Amino acid sequence: MSQPTVALRVTAAVPLSPLLKGFTFEPADGGRVAPSGPGAHLRLFLKPGDRVHKNAYSLISNPEDRSHASIIVRRTADSKGGSAFLHEGVREGDVIEAGLPANLFPVARTARRHLMVSGGIGVTPFLAYIAAFEAAGTPWELHHFCRADEAGVFEALLAPYPASRIHIHAGPVFGGLDEVLARQPLGTHFYTCGPAVMMDAALELARALGWPRARLHSESFGGAGEGGMPFIAVLRRSNLEIAVGAETTLLDAIEAAGVDAPCLCRGGACGQCLTEVAEGEPEHRDHFLDAEERASGRVIMTCVSRARTARLVLEL
Amino acid sequence: MLISDIKSRPVYERLSVDASGRRHLVLSDAPRPLADVIDGAEAAQAPLAYWYVASTSAVDGKPSAAPDAAGEASNYAPHETRAFRAIPHVMDRLSHRLARESVGLRLYVIGEEGFVWDVVRLAREAGMEESECRTAHAGSLRRKVFCVHCKTITHNVTTSLATCEGCGASLVVRDHFSRGLSAFMGVQADAEVPGELPPVEEMFP
Repeated sequence: MSQPTVALRVTAAVPLSPLLKGFTFEPADGGRVAPSGPGAHLRLFLKPGDRVHKNAYSLISNPEDRSHASIIVRRTADSKGGSAFLHEGVREGDVIEAGLPANLFPVARTARRHLMVSGGIGVTPFLAYIAAFEAAGTPWELHHFCRADEAGVFEALLAPYPASRIHIHAGPVFGGLDEVLARQPLGTHFYTCGPAVMMDAALELARALGWPRARLHSESFGGAGEGGMPFIAVLRRSNLEIAVGAETTLLDAIEAAGVDAPCLCRGGACGQCLTEVAEGEPEHRDHFLDAEERASGRVIMTCVSRARTARLVLEL
Repeated sequence: MLISDIKSRPVYERLSVDASGRRHLVLSDAPRPLADVIDGAEAAQAPLAYWYVASTSAVDGKPSAAPDAAGEASNYAPHETRAFRAIPHVMDRLSHRLARESVGLRLYVIGEEGFVWDVVRLAREAGMEESECRTAHAGSLRRKVFCVHCKTITHNVTTSLATCEGCGASLVVRDHFSRGLSAFMGVQADAEVPGELPPVEEMFP
């Protein structure tokens, strides 16, 4: 089953700062945007040249309002073309192909209170979270870390919400969270999104302060399956050999070969695409398998994981 | 007739201190030496409190820092020990404490299943996660039985058949356990042929 796509028209493309640009989309053929929940991301299929970039961006719009979908894009210095293309090549009125929203960073429904820590553009999923929390009346608290010159942009994005819940820490220092994490009432869940080093530091600090894993949530956009050494996947049952290129995922390559492989989240989280490995060594990139399963090398999540060996033989 | 391979039956292990916790609270429904209740208490790096039900009017639930009537003789010293007159008193104190607690607390409960799961439910209602509560069984195996027909809970059931205190039905006590109700499901034993009952066995001493 290949991923369904929709055509979205750009109805606004607004520069927020030299490196940040906000985009608003509406379905090209009218109607409402696909349903999503807070924390969902949209995968845009960008075609700046002869290659397709599949970039994921968190939806910042209130999921309850399906008149449009909004994202913010940071132009990355080492952009392989996706974010630069969005910044310079996409204009109002253009139509972009996109996947349906997927959510690998959902809100914990049982939480009594939500504590969020974001870095830079990592605040984007929390803009959708906050809209939902405000609507539901659930207590929340946001600590946002950003460059001093971008503090104004984030202050403006957060301006609609109660200032008492928002703490913007502008500058190069990441810290001051010990006291915050130590005083959260029972029932609080913790979410972090931003640069990997910041998320790792925040999660490590929380664990050290007695936060169990069940309360900790961090963003991981799927898409982790692209990028790596090319390899040959042998689908034993289908009697096929397929080349998995550096910039494609194993699952996408299997689907391109016409094989209907199981999948659901496409982000290494749900476990649906678990496939048996007959030969070769998987390079695990998922969040689903436990340490024992990883070490066994007998199973792989095809949506994000790849191969360490030149050939990987799968029971597909 | 007892249906026993039911997954909802809780599995218990000996309690041990979860080193990742920042505060530990151990609850027992009877006076037991702390060392008998939980492993690792003496080495705990974080404050540990031990609350137990003494079932006597001679205690007042006030904290004492020293090992006390529970007969502790070992060399550890819990930061706080409280002896409570009865279960409702410890439940009241627990509610009060949980309302003021913050993330980092670990709860440990030992006793009869009704007590254990009443405490866990209180903790869950206060926002605690299952992974923050550890449970162990001690004492009688007697059960609380929830009549699936009239919803009455019959207490202190030790036999395979019990008479519902609500509707008088003869109930088969199943292994199907509800963590929400802290009780086992009881279903009418003679539903097929009224009056035809299996022999009563003493099963939960």
